[in-house]
Amino acid sequence: MFSNSKISNIIGNLKGIILENKLKIYLIILILALIFPFITNNQYYIYIGVLTLMYMILASSLNIIVGYTYQYLIGFAGFFAIGAYTTAIITTSFEVNFIFVFLISGIIASIFALLIGIPTSRLGGIFFAFATLGFGEIIRLIIINWDTLTRGTFGIPGIPRPKLFNFIINTNTNFYFFALLILLVQLFISYRVINSRVGRAWLSLKENSEAAKAMGIKIAKYRVLNLMYGTFWAGIGGAFYAYFTQYVSPDTFVLDEGFRIFAMVLVGGMGTLIGPIAGSGLLTILPELVREFARYQLIIYGVAILLIIHYRPQGLFGAKELAQAKVKDEK
Amino acid sequence: MFWIRQIINGITQGSIYALMAIGYSLIFGKLLLVTFAFGEMVVFGVFVSYYLYAIVGLNLFLAIIIALPISWGLGMLVDKICYEKFRDEPRFLMLITTIGFGIFLKSFTQLIFGTGYRSYPNFIEGKIIVGGVRITYIQIFIILTTLLLLYGLNLFFKKTKLGVGIIALSNDLDAAKLVGINVNKSIKFGHSLGVVLGVFGGMMMVSYYNAIGASMGPILGLKAFTVVVFGGITSLPGAIIGGFTLGILENLSVATFGSGYKDIVAFVILILILVLRPSGLLGKKIDLF
Amino acid sequence: MATILKTDKVCKYFDGVKAVDKVSIEVEEGIILGIIGPNGAGKTTLFNVLTGMLAETEGKVIYKNKDITKLSPQDITNIGMSRTFQNIKLFDHLSAHENVKIGFHTKTKTGFIDAIFKTKTYNNDEQKVNEKGIKLLKRVGLAEKQEILGQNLSYGDKRRLEIARALAVEPDLLLVDEPTAGMNAKETRTIVELLDKLNDEGITVIIIEHDMGVIMNLCDEIVVLNDGNVISRGDPNYVQNDPAVREAYLGKGAS
Repeated sequence: MFSNSKISNIIGNLKGIILENKLKIYLIILILALIFPFITNNQYYIYIGVLTLMYMILASSLNIIVGYTYQYLIGFAGFFAIGAYTTAIITTSFEVNFIFVFLISGIIASIFALLIGIPTSRLGGIFFAFATLGFGEIIRLIIINWDTLTRGTFGIPGIPRPKLFNFIINTNTNFYFFALLILLVQLFISYRVINSRVGRAWLSLKENSEAAKAMGIKIAKYRVLNLMYGTFWAGIGGAFYAYFTQYVSPDTFVLDEGFRIFAMVLVGGMGTLIGPIAGSGLLTILPELVREFARYQLIIYGVAILLIIHYRPQGLFGAKELAQAKVKDEK
Repeated sequence: MFWIRQIINGITQGSIYALMAIGYSLIFGKLLLVTFAFGEMVVFGVFVSYYLYAIVGLNLFLAIIIALPISWGLGMLVDKICYEKFRDEPRFLMLITTIGFGIFLKSFTQLIFGTGYRSYPNFIEGKIIVGGVRITYIQIFIILTTLLLLYGLNLFFKKTKLGVGIIALSNDLDAAKLVGINVNKSIKFGHSLGVVLGVFGGMMMVSYYNAIGASMGPILGLKAFTVVVFGGITSLPGAIIGGFTLGILENLSVATFGSGYKDIVAFVILILILVLRPSGLLGKKIDLF
Repeated sequence: MATILKTDKVCKYFDGVKAVDKVSIEVEEGIILGIIGPNGAGKTTLFNVLTGMLAETEGKVIYKNKDITKLSPQDITNIGMSRTFQNIKLFDHLSAHENVKIGFHTKTKTGFIDAIFKTKTYNNDEQKVNEKGIKLLKRVGLAEKQEILGQNLSYGDKRRLEIARALAVEPDLLLVDEPTAGMNAKETRTIVELLDKLNDEGITVIIIEHDMGVIMNLCDEIVVLNDGNVISRGDPNYVQNDPAVREAYLGKGAS
């Protein structure tokens, strides 16, 4: 048997080292990420790199919602789908600059978040979880059934490559850097929002909604704002997916996709910016390294969530909460 | 005639939902255990009976009778993994553990029993025609069984020590402890009972529609939850009314718009209740974290 | 002196239990009002009704000549009424400083755009919450503990932090619910001094307290609740000698 406290100690010490050299480590990781496409010629590895970055974008997006306000969004794949289909529909019908397509995809996902957010904002927890489960499924059903718009189960092929002036984002390496850029912009913006009045309001309603009310914070408003902000990035992630794969179909956007991203957020550590990055990195790359893993992927994700909640509720890399867990241990 | 048949179909479907919803209401409304894995547990239990019948080759009724105690055991296991440690913790932790368990159980079911739909046999074949309307025996069987079970449950909650204990702890946990009710045991029992009711409802449902798929869990969970919220979370009669309402509305919607959007009905009802009457039809307002 | 808060036959019933029953009180601006009474007298319920956390069954609440009966807690906070809780409600996983920063929510304006582009509004707001936050922590004696998480503070410090956070709202009326519960004599004295000083600065205070020393020391006026009713009110001397109060506390025949 593993001793719990021993594992905690080892991770705690490791984390201590990481915390002390936080900036240096981030910098090293960033440099590694930047040179990665140049140290390998294997297109497949770069392709996996692109997917990993995309999941990092998606997990960071869900983390804003789950981790900062405890809104358990289950139908996350629905918002991902909205972004992807918005891009697919626009780009196969009109010629629009891809930057606008990205923004429109994000905004439309946000608008849907507003629609689902208003009726569910008063009741948190499981109400929200089930309502959004239903929402995600309905988006999929609409995609399947409204075939004049979405081509139903056939999906939409032939999404053109994004083009900036004369440069076409085309190769895996191009997309790799494109995804990295999106992720960095996303993290930068999220960092600023979280460390402002808006982010503090989110944290307050997650921490203690009664006290938040007493501080004059409009709970429903900030819940909905949070949902809209988070799903904006889900829409962006969807747009990226559509451009990258050049084909969207309803099969991609099943509940399991949302569960997969949910597991990444939880395992990495929700409520920190770095946690979901680590979680999605781990849970995307691991199945590639261990091929046997792929078949049991979701089983392992489910077990991982249970283990995390039982033994490390703050997640593997929940830095802030970890510091506090340490204080607790010393008591 | 067409509409009468749709209503009868709706009542049959509603009986099934009512049974599942009672299981759900017992777990969520009475024991205040937040559960997201209910649908997955139901599907697993039904698959066990399918496996015993189709693969092992047992008689269908024997298969069902063996599958129910296994479902009971599943209920105990879920309590152990998802609830026991978290009884006094913030309730969102239960939500996460059951989400995790749900993901696990759904994939596990898919791994063992396959991802496709399997055909499940009818309990009873045959039909009668009453006044030009066709009613199948299985419809009669389902409606009668549900009524019988509801009656039995009513007796259980009124007459037995365990049943009374469960109601008592749902009304006032501290008082229940004071009068010597074994809270842990009652919760475990109540939870497993809820799971078994859900599984039995699930068996009748797949027998009625002749198909079972491992991915049905989450939507079944959503429907059970919707029915319970509709009726008022704490109210068992509310769950029954909710079950019939959803069953009838679903059938009418299929008759009107086709089957593509059938699963939307539950979602629309859920959103409407959340907007119009969050405490449900018959429920009292309770604080849900 | 003007009246800052007035209640008119405020009632709050729970399933037929009359937690607060036809309570009519007037609070003059600038005073410290004590609310006392045996456990279960309805003191905290009254606070919850005043601050909009609970909807009154009947009656009216007037604050600064405005009917606030139907206002949400957030709107009531917005017009200058702030509170602490009997069972401390901090943001447990946030530092003391962050707890107070959140208190400035209604006094700051930063939105998404400001935060993303670090506009002037953002910079002003951050400067304000940082500096004023530290100042408030200093006032309650927590300056050295600003980085400690809410949950790791001692019991007395938690209560202090709650007061600091309530002050961040920049209230005209402060409602404190048992601020010295569980504190030793020395800690209690610092709280009494703090409340006294806040009052001198013009904040009207309503305090629920069991410690009679604190009440007699601090309050200009006292309201005694029992079973949801006001059974006595007046200055400390009067209330102390009111037979009705003795009876409520000690039971019939004791006086």
